[in-house]
Amino acid sequence: MKKVLITVLSVFALTAQADFLGSAHNWNKGSSDSFKSAVKAAEAGYKANLAVEMAWRDTGKMIKEAKKLNAAGKTAAAVALANKAHRQSVNATAQTPLAQSAGPLF
Amino acid sequence: MKKLITAVAGISFLVGAASADVASDHKAFIDYFKAMKPNVEFADYTNGVYAFDEGSREQFEEILDGIPPYEEALEKGGEEFVKFGLGKCAALADPAAARIKHPYFDDATQKVVTLEGVLKACYHQQTGKKLGSNKGKIARISAWISDQAAGEKVNVKVEGAGAQAAYDQGKAFFYGKRGQFNMSCADCHVYNAGKKARADILSPALGHTTHVPMYRAKWAGLGTLQRRYGGCLKNMRAKPIGSQTETMNNLEYFHQAMSNGLEITAARYRK
Repeated sequence: MKKVLITVLSVFALTAQADFLGSAHNWNKGSSDSFKSAVKAAEAGYKANLAVEMAWRDTGKMIKEAKKLNAAGKTAAAVALANKAHRQSVNATAQTPLAQSAGPLF
Repeated sequence: MKKLITAVAGISFLVGAASADVASDHKAFIDYFKAMKPNVEFADYTNGVYAFDEGSREQFEEILDGIPPYEEALEKGGEEFVKFGLGKCAALADPAAARIKHPYFDDATQKVVTLEGVLKACYHQQTGKKLGSNKGKIARISAWISDQAAGEKVNVKVEGAGAQAAYDQGKAFFYGKRGQFNMSCADCHVYNAGKKARADILSPALGHTTHVPMYRAKWAGLGTLQRRYGGCLKNMRAKPIGSQTETMNNLEYFHQAMSNGLEITAARYRK
């Protein structure tokens, strides 16, 4: 009985939330806030990589493309691409200290 | 007085240590290639990848036997050198000497000065216009200047603390991994030189700078050494760094120093 009650209440809560969002909400778009934070992280990382001349070739293009996708309302794809750009910048940052003191292996 | 002697001795030691460091780097570099390809003579590295691969060498020699595809561009480069009054600039008054002198470390500016850097400055001084850094006019004129020094040996000097710092930065760049492929210049042109990357044989870094600016069939024209750096960085999926910037000049400084003792050649055709 307890389980049934919990299930019914959960369904009710989810339905209420869905109604609150309104019919205009596109479930495939993702959240604009998550895009903002993703692109902000990617841009900050890329800027830092550029400053030490360790940026990767495509990171800047990815950020631009992510912004275009977001402007076109494809927020989920935009967030995914911005996250990918951010991961690139994190990897470039990891390369930096090693590259600055590299020497021959022989 | 004691302090002065100590300071002078210290500076002398540092300068000596810096030169010794470059000399030992150079020896280790040559020894590495010698161990890798015992049958290739040191002098033959001036021919780049053609020192490694017989088939490619035959094609190279056939091209040189005829009229090399860069012949006309070189003539034009010589004409442009005169037309724009570049010989009036002190640094370029003797073109052969200019090729041998550059790159060098300028103590006054504490920066590496490249031949193309001087060309750009002189061109601007004479014409009031800007000259590009990678191809076209600058590559033609620089190649013509280099031709005047054909047969002379690369002799980059690294003397003093500032020069050593620039050299070390160039060296770190050469051996440092970067870009999405996490590769260094050395990964291709030292450790895997002579091996194939898709259809191409990777050229040895030893001797790279003896035939610059080079004519590349891929470019269908002449290009400067730093143009090639940009292409390599793109291939490694790293963001290219502007030509004639401090970083690229330091890389060139180290790169040229590793070819010290090799003859500058006019055979500048590369695939």
